[in-house]
Amino acid sequence: MGTKSNLVDNPVRQEVNITRIFDAPRELVFKMWTDPELVEKWWGPKDFKNPVCELDARVGGTMRIVMQAPDGLMIPTSGVFTELLEPERIVFKNFKEDDDGNAQLEVINTVTFTEENGKTTMTLNALAVRITPEACASIEGMNVGWNQSIDRFAYVLTGINH
Amino acid sequence: MRRDVFQAIADPNRRVILSMLATGKLNVNQVADQFDITRSAVSQHMKILTECGLVSITKKGRERYCEAKLDKLSEIWDWLNQYKKFWEGKFDAMEQALKEIQAKNKKDGNKK
Repeated sequence: MGTKSNLVDNPVRQEVNITRIFDAPRELVFKMWTDPELVEKWWGPKDFKNPVCELDARVGGTMRIVMQAPDGLMIPTSGVFTELLEPERIVFKNFKEDDDGNAQLEVINTVTFTEENGKTTMTLNALAVRITPEACASIEGMNVGWNQSIDRFAYVLTGINH
Repeated sequence: MRRDVFQAIADPNRRVILSMLATGKLNVNQVADQFDITRSAVSQHMKILTECGLVSITKKGRERYCEAKLDKLSEIWDWLNQYKKFWEGKFDAMEQALKEIQAKNKKDGNKK
């Protein structure tokens, strides 16, 4: 469980930040997110397939990707693009459900790309905010279960690593 | 009205209050003194924090002491940690894919 010292440092952390440097031009790294053929190459980990990989890379467009684990387990993920600025920035939203399947959190994911000397620095900031009643209405009927995806993904990954 | 930890941290003033209380108990006035907003606004935030289960208030004589109950926040961290792992796993795969794509592009380029 979370340590007390962690609590005191930043008790109200509600975001995740990841930075990666890739030895590739940023146009290509950006396209890794928007071109379904390229997304398919990395969205699932090794030995996974992506039987469904639908991306509508424009503002308001949806992403719907279903990963299939080597043992056949299907792991759906979906989101909505809210901002696209090629080749600098992508913002998309997804949702976390509570145990009853109600959307509980809206996660705003901002991906940025900067290039220097042929290498691209990519950052992901994921900010979790409580869902608003308006957002609840707009996501009704959408397949939004990222917490399930993540749980299953973690489960499958653990299996693979062993 | 439903109250949960995510609502508690939705407001920047409430996040500041929680950070202040994370280091120890304070009475309501000590908290209010740190803010430009009115005392009643601070009280309102404190009320929401208690309803969300993140702050408890105890009376001692005429003073009301506020104490943070931060254990509940672990609900958020657990999910965020998983979320981070989820993406890190994907980005490992992305790195590999980028290498393969570029190696292939180079090879195709050399053929021409």
